[in-house]
Amino acid sequence: MAADPSGPVFSALADPTRRQLLTAIAQRPATATELANELPISRQAVVKHLSALSQAGLLARERAGRDVRYSVTPAPLSDAVSWMAQVGGQWDERLAALGRQFGVPTARS
Amino acid sequence: MIDRIERELELPASPSEVWLALTDPVWLAGWLADEVSLELVPGGHARFRIGDQLRSGWVEEISPPDVGDRETDGPTGRLAFWWAHGDEPASRVELALIPTADGATLLQVVESRPLEILDLVGIPLPGLGGASYGPALVAAA
Repeated sequence: MAADPSGPVFSALADPTRRQLLTAIAQRPATATELANELPISRQAVVKHLSALSQAGLLARERAGRDVRYSVTPAPLSDAVSWMAQVGGQWDERLAALGRQFGVPTARS
Repeated sequence: MIDRIERELELPASPSEVWLALTDPVWLAGWLADEVSLELVPGGHARFRIGDQLRSGWVEEISPPDVGDRETDGPTGRLAFWWAHGDEPASRVELALIPTADGATLLQVVESRPLEILDLVGIPLPGLGGASYGPALVAAA
């Protein structure tokens, strides 16, 4: 399927933190609390980003007790989009590592 | 084009210093992959180890920073290589260095899968094999 570069899927993926969250959820479905524990992102920020990803149709929500578990919806996530999310996240990590070698402070959102 | 990642990072160093970080195996092992072996000539072999994943590829362009001429606009150093893991489509990585007014260097990264277009016209995508016949494809384009 052809993804529209101006559509909600791409604007949801334009943010490196959201790509990082999506990559983590693609590996294993998780709740906002679990993601906040695993990643250097506050729970409040995780919830905000998950909401944007859900609205773009990239995540499915499922009740898990008092929490909500998120998983990746395969449908809108075409091969191109998942490639972008994965490869983009890898470059964010590589450039952060390179920046550290040159003494550039690591930016964290 | 959809299959394209662009990033940039400003580094407090001269283009020649950053060039070392892009071409020296010890530097490269500190950020690009766990182990990197690049034959620094056009068409040279490239091998990468990322964790237990091995990628192979080849060097398309290697143009060191031009230290003599600061008047030219645009990149002063450029490294382009292709890499692929197993049967995945090969992708092209281009690293370009642009000197900034205050003596620092802007590193621009583009990773793209230009060969995806071949899939649309029914030509099998080069995976690991793309590492060997990629140069011919680019020369023919």
